[in-house]
Amino acid sequence: MVNRTAIIKQPDKISFFNDVYELQKEHQEALILDNSKPDLIWIGEHQLCYTLGRGSSYENILFPLNDNKYEVFKIDRGGEVTCHMPGQLVTYLVLDLKNFNKDLNWYLRKIEKIIIKILGSFNIDCHLKPGYTGVWIGDKKIASIGIGCKRWITLNGFSINFDCELENFNKIIPCGIENCLMANMTDYNKNLTKRTVKRIVKKIIQEEFNFDFVSK
Amino acid sequence: MSHEIFMPALSSTMTEGKIVEWLKNPGDKVERGESVLVVESDKADMDVESFQDGYLAAVLMPAGSTAPVGETIGLIVENEDEIASVQEQNKGNQPEVSSSDQLELVSNKTEEKPEVQSEIVEKQEKEVVLMSEKAAPSFSSDQINAATSNVSSRVIASPRAKKLASQMGVDLAKVHGSGPHGRIQADDILKANGQPVSIPWIGEGGSPASVPGANLGVESKPETSGNSFGNPGETVQFNTLQKAVNKNMESSLDVPCFRVGYSINTDKLDNFYKKVKQNGVTMTALLVKAVAKTLKKHPQVNSSFSENGISYPENINIAVAVAMEDGGLITPVLKEPCNTDLFELSREWKDLVKRSRSKQLEPDEYSTGTFTLSNLGMFGVDRFDAILPPGTGAILAIASSKPTVVANSDGSISVKKIMQVNLTADHRVIYGADGASFLKDLASLIEDEPETLVS
Repeated sequence: MVNRTAIIKQPDKISFFNDVYELQKEHQEALILDNSKPDLIWIGEHQLCYTLGRGSSYENILFPLNDNKYEVFKIDRGGEVTCHMPGQLVTYLVLDLKNFNKDLNWYLRKIEKIIIKILGSFNIDCHLKPGYTGVWIGDKKIASIGIGCKRWITLNGFSINFDCELENFNKIIPCGIENCLMANMTDYNKNLTKRTVKRIVKKIIQEEFNFDFVSK
Repeated sequence: MSHEIFMPALSSTMTEGKIVEWLKNPGDKVERGESVLVVESDKADMDVESFQDGYLAAVLMPAGSTAPVGETIGLIVENEDEIASVQEQNKGNQPEVSSSDQLELVSNKTEEKPEVQSEIVEKQEKEVVLMSEKAAPSFSSDQINAATSNVSSRVIASPRAKKLASQMGVDLAKVHGSGPHGRIQADDILKANGQPVSIPWIGEGGSPASVPGANLGVESKPETSGNSFGNPGETVQFNTLQKAVNKNMESSLDVPCFRVGYSINTDKLDNFYKKVKQNGVTMTALLVKAVAKTLKKHPQVNSSFSENGISYPENINIAVAVAMEDGGLITPVLKEPCNTDLFELSREWKDLVKRSRSKQLEPDEYSTGTFTLSNLGMFGVDRFDAILPPGTGAILAIASSKPTVVANSDGSISVKKIMQVNLTADHRVIYGADGASFLKDLASLIEDEPETLVS
């Protein structure tokens, strides 16, 4: 397997969604121009906001779109509407798949495997649901995936609900799945700290993609 | 010159992808490397870029529609002045609502539950009705009238028609139904989309989204090479090639031929073809490969009559009949297809066709066939028989593969794509049982393991 260097960013504070999205887009463009540049991994949290993929249906948003209370972003990823908020760990991977496997299905399955390993490290027993990309605990969804790709350079990634206000998902039909129940990691393991989970996210991504991490 | 944009394979297991959004409109300038559209598979989407500078001339599959991997979904031209002619040629294939945000809304929910087929169909049915209502506001006033009047009386269409309509971006509200009580049938959608009613499935590029006529096949150009070589009242002398064909055809009268036919299910072959088409594989190469592989097991069918007895050639060389635009036909030969991989074979075939059109074939490139294929599938014919070329023992006539209602051995009924093939053979060297067992093995190769045709 190739040995790649990745820049890792993991702010402790809440980050504005659009700032991080721009950071990702800039990095994607930079990788397109120069593929010797390191990949980028970002692990953090966002303010409350709703995001849609390019193919998403606005019908899955249950609040009026002109309601200024909620921020909505339409971004370059697959999948339907989802919700980000403090207490949800978001991981973005801007990777050049040409160095791994030019296969988005492979990549999605890899991300699922990573999430299952992360949750497994905390003895949270989770599973996949064929046809419903993401990671589930029983009939509750704990992690969501959304990927964008341009010239095999990826954008976005996955989110794991840690201890977030799950009611925020009631204002949408998450991922377009009606009556979709959501879960938090802390529902299954009370003795978790966000810091530990972030460390494990980083470790498992490193193992799975064989990265050398650098800070810039 | 126009360049095709194909549905890309986002993964090795992907067979079809959904067009999420066209980032460019027909007529827009595109630069090499610029994103033209977005394709989605599962939770991942991918920007599809242009491979050359030019202009997006035609969108053949609208946003919201699903296309098989390798399918032509759009056309790019190099010069601005080519846009009009390409658009003219593809008129019937372009979605009527080209900026189709509405269409996008319609079908993007269906991908979520791939395993629940019947539910999807139901969903699509509901959503298609939804579409015609939603789409109405962006139409001109008379279209609104047409749409609303139809919506108010509810659009009645067969499930297949609805599915086709959503795939092709045809607005059901504007289609005149030819079925009972004005019910819209699949054929009506095809007609509304400017396509021939029976889609020729086998034959180069004869897939649903391709340009009728223009892309129909390297072997034949029915539209351009008219049906006659002279004017009414005239008698036109045979050209050299026609004379040669006449001589060959007449000599077949001295050969005691028999014919034996077989119906082959091509569902798997068609799927496999869709996957490999983007790598330049032609249907001719696939069929040649299948026939050659089967001949290897049936040397008798590769043999021919000679004064001294049954002559078994050293090689398996497959000749394929190609109609010439100015009359006559020629049979370029693919030598030893069993020893050539499918991709190389496809390249060889394209080169042979190109050179036979410009009459640059060497004699050994058209006279060394040991078995001949004649494929009229691209015209949609359901069956025909071929005349045996001299010096060979057999020729296979291949007709179009058509969706056919089939009674299965367990008593159930299903629709399968069925292609009729018909072997003409010299009974002095090949007997009925030889021909029949050859066809049986050919059929099982095509039906069960088309993927083995790769090498």
